[in-house]
Amino acid sequence: MIQLSKSYSLPDSVEDFIPIKIVSVGGAGLNALDRIVLDGLERAEVVAINTDVQSLASSVAAHKVQLGRNVTRGLGAGGDPELGYQAAVESSEEIREALANARMILICAGLGGGTGSGAAPLIAQLAREAGALVLGFVTLPFSFEGKRRNAQAREALDRLDQFANAVICFENDQMAEIVPPKAGIHQAFASADMLISQSVRSIVNVIQRPGLIRIGFDDLLAALRRRNGRCLFGFGESDSDNRAHDALTQALKNPLMDRGRMLSDAARILVHIAGGPGMTLSEVEVLMQELGRHVNEQTQILFGTAVDGRMGNRLSVTIISSLAADGDIALDGVTSLPVAVPTPSIWEQQPQPQTSVDSVPESIPMPEPPRVPPIDFAPIEQEPPIAEPAPPATSLSKKAESSSVAAQGRSAPVKKTNPVEEKLPAKQEVLQFEPVTRGRFEKSEPTIVEGEDLDVPTYLRKNIKVK
Amino acid sequence: MASNNLMVGLEIGTSKICVVVGESRTDGTVKILGVGQAPSRGVRKGEIVDFETAMKCVHEAVVDAEQKSDVMIRSVYVAVAGSHLQSFNNRGCVMLPEDRDEIDEQDVEDVKSNAREVSIPAQNAFLHSIIQHYHVDGQDGVLNPIGMSGQKLEADFHIIHGMRTRIQNSIRCVKELPLEVEDVVFSALASAQVVLTKNQKDLGALVIDMGGGTTDYVLYADGAIRQSGCLAIGGDHITNDISMGLRIPMARAEKLKIEEGSCILGNCLPGDMILLKDDSGFAGKEIERETLNTIIHLRLRETLELLKRRLDEESYLNYLGGGIFITGGCSLLNGLDYLAGEIFELPAQVVHAHTTSGLTSAVENPQFSTAIGLIKYAQAVQRDRRPRRFGRIFGKFFSGIR
Repeated sequence: MIQLSKSYSLPDSVEDFIPIKIVSVGGAGLNALDRIVLDGLERAEVVAINTDVQSLASSVAAHKVQLGRNVTRGLGAGGDPELGYQAAVESSEEIREALANARMILICAGLGGGTGSGAAPLIAQLAREAGALVLGFVTLPFSFEGKRRNAQAREALDRLDQFANAVICFENDQMAEIVPPKAGIHQAFASADMLISQSVRSIVNVIQRPGLIRIGFDDLLAALRRRNGRCLFGFGESDSDNRAHDALTQALKNPLMDRGRMLSDAARILVHIAGGPGMTLSEVEVLMQELGRHVNEQTQILFGTAVDGRMGNRLSVTIISSLAADGDIALDGVTSLPVAVPTPSIWEQQPQPQTSVDSVPESIPMPEPPRVPPIDFAPIEQEPPIAEPAPPATSLSKKAESSSVAAQGRSAPVKKTNPVEEKLPAKQEVLQFEPVTRGRFEKSEPTIVEGEDLDVPTYLRKNIKVK
Repeated sequence: MASNNLMVGLEIGTSKICVVVGESRTDGTVKILGVGQAPSRGVRKGEIVDFETAMKCVHEAVVDAEQKSDVMIRSVYVAVAGSHLQSFNNRGCVMLPEDRDEIDEQDVEDVKSNAREVSIPAQNAFLHSIIQHYHVDGQDGVLNPIGMSGQKLEADFHIIHGMRTRIQNSIRCVKELPLEVEDVVFSALASAQVVLTKNQKDLGALVIDMGGGTTDYVLYADGAIRQSGCLAIGGDHITNDISMGLRIPMARAEKLKIEEGSCILGNCLPGDMILLKDDSGFAGKEIERETLNTIIHLRLRETLELLKRRLDEESYLNYLGGGIFITGGCSLLNGLDYLAGEIFELPAQVVHAHTTSGLTSAVENPQFSTAIGLIKYAQAVQRDRRPRRFGRIFGKFFSGIR
């Protein structure tokens, strides 16, 4: 065994983090956001937006925006998307402020209700106007929640799709597949949140992780750009002996993947593999080979890999792709947007001095939740909505305004760059001189007992010299 | 000859496929009519990995057995192994109604199905549920409770289960030939039927069936099966170790293991060399005997120690009055009984089938233990089944098998 005295340094392009904001809208969105924050997320800011003050107050997000102070008066939108939209219109200034200075905005919402369905499309529109790349992560309601709610959700999804660069859509009905039938209902919802959290975090990581082979916005967009398409998303992580295989299996198990069957129809697939310093080329090779079995020969694979000291022993795989809704590959989706925003490229990004614009914690007036008995406001919720057609409704003045915001946004500061990698001690890479081989059992299922691969000869494992 | 007296055992092993044709006699003995075998390909660690190839090999072995025994084989008992097999003990319990205190057959059926109501993983299927003992009102060790008085009847079962799809692979392989599958049997359980006497089961005995791809074990205490399982390590691993350690081809390593191998260390003089003659595609080589033995010894010691650790999880090892019985092809390796005795600190011996008549000399070989054991199993099952005629492939209770 040879030990290299000099360790290879990781690429130093760590400095320029791309400002990413995660915006959650409505009750379901806030739940998902809490989960994201609890699961641990660095290198992105979170913004919580809701009409319901009570749920906003309990959110862990640092930056909160209350919608429709006059329209809903601190209560929810009551399942009415129109009311949610009105509330968002009323607070559009605040939203715009909250969205400023981000290159990429991820919008999480549960569609079907009031705030999520009503406000999310408008927020996506404002985000695009602010010059950011917009990805939507939305859930569709369970089918038992009723046809009305489902119809609202579909409508909202259509509108959101017009504004966002891509929408990743989780159907709650599909979630049922990953939840054991005996699990409690809270677990079913929790697993939906977990899935959203996982996908949001992995997309942030894909973009932010210092890559050996880096994946940029352009790759991400290329993989996701399908109008009304079905998004394929899979994430797997493992630290077992056979981690490359296990991580991929887990990624393909994701309900949005349909066990990898869907991949064969995809035209482009983005694959990102991240691991600790111990990740080997052969592991990546094995993984890609295995993935190759699930994809078509014509499929373009956008491949990225990153070494992240924090990953430790783990290896993670993220697979992102999308299918055209009608089998038609339409790549011009972006141009049909009401506001043509150039797709930013991460390579333009330069570290810049910090300005004070960024995310000063909002001083939202937070009324004590039980202050007003909700019954007083019941009539207000039933008020006929102020007649204004649903979006797209962008006035010219807004556009001008937004472009200035966008310009401002582009020269946005990079808030903090404190990569943990730098703190890690330079690790010596261990080069295996004699590959551990399993000989005849190379292709069979390994016999792993008590953490040892027993197919490897005993004398090799115990380091006993036989000759 | 009535055809229902004819029983055929088929073992799809990792190194060879073995078919034994036997005939059940009215006096309860078994006569072996013929043994067919074929080298096995497409099987690794007791499980089929190349379906087509394995099927051809099974076909060869069946044809061989048909020729040698001069009978037409229609249905077989199949032995299964593989690391996916798992086992545990479970107790079922029924309370008799207030107005009745004599235990009848229905109560026994109830307690059996009650013991069976345990959750195993969804993809698994029951392979065996074997009765250990009944308890009547807390009285231990009841063998047959029917007719006894009591309010509470409990039954201890040993349950063996495995992955449904993998078990079905073996079944499918036979059915495609096409042959009927009468039953599937855990291979060590079959071996135990033939290498152990009733007396040895009562005393307590451990059967280790070391085959080409797997090491299966069954532990008996007080006449009932207590522990069983399968380790996916076998003679193939030794061959592989030799091939890699001495850098010789697999085929030569296998031959060397069989002809010269031993797992006893310190038994040969330094400089004692084995000459491998040159062969087409293989230049001759000299190998130190001690090196060869060290490789074998390390692997077998590790395997047996692993087995001991597994069995130590429950304390039945202390109840083994009968000792350790090693069978299977790998047990032919020189010194294995000695090594096992040293590791388990119990008397150990290599055994083979000995309770048959007919072609005795041909089958007195540990390699055939499982296939002959299948016949013994079949005999016990048929005796038990005849009055009722229920026969499902999965999930069965036979009081005849212990």
